[in-house]
Amino acid sequence: MRPVLEGRAWVFGDHVNTDQILPGRFLDRPAEEVGRYALAGLDATFPERVAPGDVVVAGVNFGCGSSRETAVLALKQAGVSAVVARSFARIFFRNAINNGLPAVIIGDTAGIGQGDRLRLDLSARTVTNLTTGAVLPVQNLTGTSLEILRHGGIVAYTLARVGQRGGQP
Amino acid sequence: MTLTEKIIARAAGLPSVTPGDEVWAGVDLAAMHDSSGPRRIAPTLERLGGRLWDRSRIVLAVDHFTPPANLRHAEILATTRAWAREAGLPHFFDSVGVMHNLLLEQGLAKPGTLIVGADSHTVTAGAVGAVAVGVGATELATVLATGQIWLRVPPTVLIRFDDAMPEYLTARDLAMAVLRELRADFAIYRAVEYAGQAVDALDLDERAVLANQAVEMGAKNGIIPPSGPVLRRFDREVSATGLPVAGDPGCAHESVYTFRLSSVPPLVAAPPDVDHVMPVQEAAGLCLDRAYIGSCAGGKAKDLREAARVLRGKRVRIPLTITPATQQVVAETLRDGTLQALIEAGAVIQAPGCGACAGLHSGLLGPKERCVATVTRNYPGRMGDPTAEIYLASPLTVAASALAGRLTDPREVL
Repeated sequence: MRPVLEGRAWVFGDHVNTDQILPGRFLDRPAEEVGRYALAGLDATFPERVAPGDVVVAGVNFGCGSSRETAVLALKQAGVSAVVARSFARIFFRNAINNGLPAVIIGDTAGIGQGDRLRLDLSARTVTNLTTGAVLPVQNLTGTSLEILRHGGIVAYTLARVGQRGGQP
Repeated sequence: MTLTEKIIARAAGLPSVTPGDEVWAGVDLAAMHDSSGPRRIAPTLERLGGRLWDRSRIVLAVDHFTPPANLRHAEILATTRAWAREAGLPHFFDSVGVMHNLLLEQGLAKPGTLIVGADSHTVTAGAVGAVAVGVGATELATVLATGQIWLRVPPTVLIRFDDAMPEYLTARDLAMAVLRELRADFAIYRAVEYAGQAVDALDLDERAVLANQAVEMGAKNGIIPPSGPVLRRFDREVSATGLPVAGDPGCAHESVYTFRLSSVPPLVAAPPDVDHVMPVQEAAGLCLDRAYIGSCAGGKAKDLREAARVLRGKRVRIPLTITPATQQVVAETLRDGTLQALIEAGAVIQAPGCGACAGLHSGLLGPKERCVATVTRNYPGRMGDPTAEIYLASPLTVAASALAGRLTDPREVL
């Protein structure tokens, strides 16, 4: 996990579901190939237009629906460095953290416009809108979820916790 | 403590827990299927040392890409089968039903236990009084390697249905009544517990719907404290192991919502969201292209029997496709005459599985097609083309609508 991330905002609405992030018709594809279908259910041109480091911004309940982890992998492969939302569906949140993608909750995303430049400082626990100057506190990412993120994901975290041979902790 | 808190405390080896606590819990059962399972978890498992923590507590079901519609699907099934053979899993179910329903009908999901599954509808197993939680594939791999998961103890929201259930409603209408009132994100990071007279009267198939739909409310788990025949089925295990089956008397729920069933009409969830719920009457008359009965929420024996209650002796006007959730559902409904009534009414019966509901195969919707269905979700594109419309409804409403070719309140034909 890089402690400071910077990128342009891609703004979406409330209740963006995992069928929109990675439609079911792509579920039979290898996990390594899903980036080209990221957000295909909302905007098929997203993977071509997104730049590495860009940030997805949404309202409430981002990632609701299916547990498909490829929804997170698709965003990551497309270049998305973080997702900022007012709330996350819990499986998407865990999948994001488990794969080293910061899923950041802030109180209000309404002031973030399409294309605004955002800076996420996960040490200072702030999201700064460099376009408007607004600074918003990060409301989540404490305890175990932060530890997992610091390790870059749950596999590295588990190896650190229990050791290479899968021994009991 | 609520039942969910007691189950998590026991799994974590702690005397008590409080909502908001983060704990490491020992998992009683881990489940996965051909989509989330071997093809996704095998490489991760290797990185974690390649050993399974306890193969007797691992369930694998082939349900998503079966029957395979193309070679990609067939390759996924081949990978899944090869892994299951190599692992020597005692609980491997190959194309005989949907994982969630198999956990219940095979008695693998037990009250008072912690179940983790790589599928969002894992919550369905809460129907027996388990804490059943969905996770992604990589997290499941860590569970398969260690037998442990970290959980944040959720506050419990109690949903009560205190009066008797009218004959024109099903458990699906109850779940939609909750979604209409409280919306699709009211239970994020929470446990949803159901209680009351109407809930106690539900059989396991109906309880499964309530538990299943908890995830559409955003919940971590849905749970129904076992009672009646559901509790009696596990009498021996519960008394032998002391597994918790009820919350402490007077335990604190974060909030309590009570629904009066006498004022709930048959409901439908219109596109584009599961909480876009309205009385069937408000959308009645809408022309339909197809009707579908199936999925972990809507393809159980009870669902087929409810449909047959409407369809017996009549004839559908639009194609009605039925996907029984498991082979045992097929066997049961064959024995009691349900299947015959459905087939004579014009329904077409498919092999069990998740295909159409998950938008994978076996009944996808084309551009602008409108379907009334007992499936789990109505998001645009969920069952195929993004312009297709999915109206979620009870099996009674789907059957009544299939007869008319238009969205129809089942009270008109019951």
